[in-house]
Amino acid sequence: MIEVIRPGVQSTVQDAGRRVRALGVPAGGAADAAARRLANALVGNAPESRAAGLEVTLSGPTLLFHAAALVSLCGAPFEVALLGADGAGRPFAPWRAVPVQAGDRLSIGGTPAGARAFLAVRGGLDVPEVFGSRGTDLRSAFGGVQGRALRAGDRLAWSPLPGVRPARAFVSPELRTPVGPDHTLRVQVTPDATPDLLDALTGQTFTVSAQADRMGARLSGVVAAPHDPARASVPNVPGMVQLPPDGQPILLLPDAGTHGGYPTPLVVISADLPRLAQLRPGDRVTLRPVTPAQARAALWAHERGLRQAEWALRHWYAGAGSAPLCCAHAD
Amino acid sequence: MSGEASGADFNSLVFTCLGDAALSVSTPRARALLAGLRDTPLPGVLEVVPALMRLTVLFDPLRLDAGQLEAALRGRLAGLREQPDGPGAGGAARTLVVPVVFGGAGGPDLEWCAAHAGLTGEAFVSALCAQKLEVAFLGFTPGFAFLTGLPPSLRMPRLDAPRGRVPAGSVALGGPWAGVYPSGTPGGWRIVGHTDLSLFDLSRPEPVPWRAGDHVQFRAVMARSAR
Repeated sequence: MIEVIRPGVQSTVQDAGRRVRALGVPAGGAADAAARRLANALVGNAPESRAAGLEVTLSGPTLLFHAAALVSLCGAPFEVALLGADGAGRPFAPWRAVPVQAGDRLSIGGTPAGARAFLAVRGGLDVPEVFGSRGTDLRSAFGGVQGRALRAGDRLAWSPLPGVRPARAFVSPELRTPVGPDHTLRVQVTPDATPDLLDALTGQTFTVSAQADRMGARLSGVVAAPHDPARASVPNVPGMVQLPPDGQPILLLPDAGTHGGYPTPLVVISADLPRLAQLRPGDRVTLRPVTPAQARAALWAHERGLRQAEWALRHWYAGAGSAPLCCAHAD
Repeated sequence: MSGEASGADFNSLVFTCLGDAALSVSTPRARALLAGLRDTPLPGVLEVVPALMRLTVLFDPLRLDAGQLEAALRGRLAGLREQPDGPGAGGAARTLVVPVVFGGAGGPDLEWCAAHAGLTGEAFVSALCAQKLEVAFLGFTPGFAFLTGLPPSLRMPRLDAPRGRVPAGSVALGGPWAGVYPSGTPGGWRIVGHTDLSLFDLSRPEPVPWRAGDHVQFRAVMARSAR
């Protein structure tokens, strides 16, 4: 059992999200999917287990563990302190599997860059599934813990798995989702991108506004936007760059509504989607168009790294702990 | 990749790439195509999301590229009957009857709408209930259905400024659409009535009672005296 002592700015249970947009339900799921995958792999949660963990935002929670567990924290470089029941500090390294003991307090502080990290627990957090996911939908208030962000006093259980020797491995830095303050996001153009619009969107640096949450990140910087009130609502897809009439683009994150009626001239490529999770107010963003072939090559490079790390860690937990580790480097 | 419009209406077909993991297809036969994709999914396709005469197909770009998907969808379309979506397109449509208390506190815009249509309140309600509506697609908020099939006389202009909060169960008209708000949200449509039917209930095996293609009919009921 994990007891929430201090909830942090916005800590929610998340997993790989939902696929029921056709019912009007947003995808949800951890915004930084690369961090989620690596954190789960580090504690031996198989991808097909759909293990849920905690997504922490800007300033993390303080958690009291009532039982021993194996955890890992991947994502933005949050400050972390682990204190034993006796008040003595114990080591906690991000991007590694860390054993915690009953009575340990894990305090996740702030982060100097980026916005989110994923805390995985071996076995996965045990909350009921809604539409095939344990993730929290904050706007419609379901999933996770009563459909809301954590509060002090909440208690979270996890599904037990057999104990293991923690992987003596760390995740190679090139697999970590880059954090700001400067971001270049690769995009593909859609038929909504007129030449003028494309010039305006890709020819300037935008700043992430204070309106940045799990639904979307609003950019400040103005683009002359077409306005068509008769435009039909059509489905949104992950990473869309939406352009409302006020000309301030919105990058759509996992909790974005399923349909929208504004032009969407650009879509962030799949390989760069985890980067959207790390945008924080004040960061600078440039959008760089790439070809479908470049998007595909980038995705394969990204995926190859993640799969090698997942494979190496799975191999470790399958009992071949001395095998050479590939992209998750051994000590 | 994008852009092809040809021939007769039912053959008009436009593919649009939305990034590297989604392909949108506009076709009058979207409903039938959706039913086919639900019955026999295409490998590598993760989700198919309908809108009006349009499907957006989200796919795994590690298994499939947009060109392969477009070819597969063209094949599916070629196998469909040569007619645009109409009643019954897309297979097993169900009819959902929605009991509505029209007017009063739960339907503050009924009189305005009736006047706009040049009808008495009673005649307006009869006309609306006589209409067979259809779920065009779901979106906006979980369980919200865009209901199509309103005759021009019953189509209502949206409010100039949306209400900050529309109560759950509100039955509303906006532009060409009718709808029922599943949960309390802001909304700019004209509210003509209220239903106790729950449109998003996670305790049910099927939390949302309708899906694209289903038929919907409003039925006027009396307000319960307890209310």
